[in-house]
Amino acid sequence: MYQYDVIDREFLTDRSNEFRHQVVRRLAGDLTEDQFKPLRLMNGLYLQLHAYMLRVAIPYGSLNARQARRLAWVARTYDKGYGHMTTRQNVQFNWIKLKDAPDILDALAEVDLHAIQTSGNCIRNTTADPYAGATAEEVDDPRVWSEVIRQWSTLHPEFSFLPRKFKIAITGALTDRAAVKVHDIGLILRRARDGSLGFEVIVGGGQGRTPYVGPTIKQHLPAGSLLSYLEAVLRVYNRHGRRDNIYKARIKILVAALGAEEFGRQVEEEWAKIDQGRADLGDVELARIRGAFAQTPFETLPARSEAFEAAKAASPSLARFARNNVKPHKKPGYAIVEVSLKAIGQTPGDATADQLDVVADLAERYGLDDLRVTHAQNLVLPHIKLDDLPAVHAILEANGLATANIDLVSDIIACPGLDYCALANARAIPIAQDIAKTFADPDRAETIGELKIKISGCINACGHHHVAHIGILGVDKKGEEFYQLSLGGSGAEDATIGKILGPALPADRVAPAIDTLVDTYLAARQGEERFLDTYRRVGLEPFKEAVYAQAD
Amino acid sequence: MPKLIKLVGAKDEHQAQWAEDAFVHVTDEDAIPEAGDVILSLTRFQAEGDTLLSSNSRRVGVRIEPAGEVEALAYDLPRLSLVALAFPKYRDGRAYTSARLLRERFHYEGEIRAVGDVLQEQAGFMVRVGFDAFEPNDGSSPEAWTKAANRFRHVYQRAADVRPIAADERAAQVEESAL
Amino acid sequence: MKAVTANRLIDGEVVFWKQGAWVDGFGDAQLFDAEQGEEVEAAVAAGKAAPTVIVDPYPIDLVAVEGLGLAPVSYRERIRALGPTNELLHGKQAEGGAVVEAIRHASGAARSTGRVDLIRRK
Repeated sequence: MYQYDVIDREFLTDRSNEFRHQVVRRLAGDLTEDQFKPLRLMNGLYLQLHAYMLRVAIPYGSLNARQARRLAWVARTYDKGYGHMTTRQNVQFNWIKLKDAPDILDALAEVDLHAIQTSGNCIRNTTADPYAGATAEEVDDPRVWSEVIRQWSTLHPEFSFLPRKFKIAITGALTDRAAVKVHDIGLILRRARDGSLGFEVIVGGGQGRTPYVGPTIKQHLPAGSLLSYLEAVLRVYNRHGRRDNIYKARIKILVAALGAEEFGRQVEEEWAKIDQGRADLGDVELARIRGAFAQTPFETLPARSEAFEAAKAASPSLARFARNNVKPHKKPGYAIVEVSLKAIGQTPGDATADQLDVVADLAERYGLDDLRVTHAQNLVLPHIKLDDLPAVHAILEANGLATANIDLVSDIIACPGLDYCALANARAIPIAQDIAKTFADPDRAETIGELKIKISGCINACGHHHVAHIGILGVDKKGEEFYQLSLGGSGAEDATIGKILGPALPADRVAPAIDTLVDTYLAARQGEERFLDTYRRVGLEPFKEAVYAQAD
Repeated sequence: MPKLIKLVGAKDEHQAQWAEDAFVHVTDEDAIPEAGDVILSLTRFQAEGDTLLSSNSRRVGVRIEPAGEVEALAYDLPRLSLVALAFPKYRDGRAYTSARLLRERFHYEGEIRAVGDVLQEQAGFMVRVGFDAFEPNDGSSPEAWTKAANRFRHVYQRAADVRPIAADERAAQVEESAL
Repeated sequence: MKAVTANRLIDGEVVFWKQGAWVDGFGDAQLFDAEQGEEVEAAVAAGKAAPTVIVDPYPIDLVAVEGLGLAPVSYRERIRALGPTNELLHGKQAEGGAVVEAIRHASGAARSTGRVDLIRRK
């Protein structure tokens, strides 16, 4: 893992001192709320319904045990004992006081954590494949490039007051676990025919009010030219992105208005004028960053663990866990372990302080001190020995963390919704809880197979509902919470925006409607089809008829 | 009290001071004064700039609104004493790009002044993209600007200034330890 | 009826106007009837005049809950007055009591169906 050096640490100290000074000025009345708001937002501090919310960056979703324990400590000391994992691999605390925020940032800085640019119209925390460095699929480690971008984008003097927020995601694997096609910039690491490393550059994807799957504007950007090319993209956007209407200010609107080809041409024209030798990162620094991620001390192990096989044969719950939460690792004898934060009835993505400590201990004892947050609001122990899986599973199970439902119907993404968020129109969490309870039977959930349900409490789409197999959007209909269902979306490598099923439903009819959709799928399923495959084959109509016929 | 703050001293250590402002902002509706240094809009400059400059008795600056493209000044830059970049709202960040292009692409060495909604919070960003004069809108003092401009001991990315970035500092450390 | 609410600057806590002061509990909020528009405006103005104490003061509409008292009309305001519905021991609702019960049993004035209330968890 990348270790902060004295430069990174002094930078965080300076940042923390700056914010402390701004809070003092705000409390003294030297800054108005209008002036202060953008400043606190650029430090991840929102004023929500009940308190301030602090959004802490987890760069590319990667944590060590010490950092996870510090998050647990913050949750216990300054919050109500829990944190919430977000779809952008961040952690949010819901009960923060403004007067405590500078102390919290100091405490986080001690373990190399921060909240810089987790909000505001700037380049946000770059997200990446949570299996980075562990999956055999990847052509290169996306964390290397995420770290390059983290440094480059931090307090960027030209790009800190963009028309709107700007989100970058990177994957090095063909299986897209980072939703790169629905980001402002999505980067896919690829090797060209000659073996050279490069990025496919996708610009102008996004969700929100106007969802787009982003077009590719460059098939193969030489990897070493990443920063100069990003500078060109951001400069075209900073100059020409709309600033007159907040809903039309994202880069996707500019790309769509110009057309991908013309936008790409403007970027190339700007790129040609940039002094690349100056703008791009030197080889020495790149090698330093790469080296930090290359030093994972794996052991040489047999591919098969007899201890694990025996334990699995003896324990149905371990076998179920292995089927759903354990993924193949690039090194023989290791596995990637997903830790579900979606126990039936739980708030999706919430982890208690105690749970964070447990997972930190596991990472330290069994997992090479490495822990990840996924955009699906779960945790990952990326490097667990097969031999240790029974022990890890037992500890997870004892702490309510062994729910074997990754990518199944109850592994629901939900934004905080109206229970916490000042922007929301409707609640998301209780809907997720209702649906999970409807599908509490784990055998049935496995029979249904992969089914990604995602819920957003408003059109900003933090819950990624547009790219869900079944998406649920909360709307305010004459003062009441209603929910609009959409089908057939995908945030993966086959990215698709879902189609609206029909008129919005009241809260208490959402879970039964999902049940109906699932029954319709199971009746129509051929062979090994996933819900999404069946939908793509049969279309919207059978599902629509089933849900709305029942309604009448 | 003057309302203009300027950077003085070495380029890598920012010192801000009050400065006398010899320039007058002339709106498109105003008549151009008989004498003295003036700042005109781009449109006004394109119409009347040649005449004013050829009189040789005064300095001329041009004010660029955020949507204005500094490329339009490329030919005239050597004759301009000042380019004022406007911030109608401090959240409008287009002028940061304009300043960088003036310094890095057009090698402009005259004054680049921030006008409009200019707050001390922007100091760190502004000095890095090439601004060296400021008309603060928040009543802030040169002391506050000096402090804000020097707040961060390290920077991570290249801009229009000469500050070594984190990668340079690391390379220097490696070299030093190799000696 | 109306009340005036805001968030407190220093900790973000939801507060309500009561006779010249800002109090934490909805049950303590000063109530204004339709005749008291000027007093509502005065309370909002007082909040705006105290920007180092209060953020974004505004009036909210209230509705009578049969036999229980008053509650905010909108469910957003009810959640503000109670706390999150997924954690029933977090926020103001932790104290329990008649006021909390009244808000939990409130139904929206805009309700058009006979559906059970939206706030109470099953």
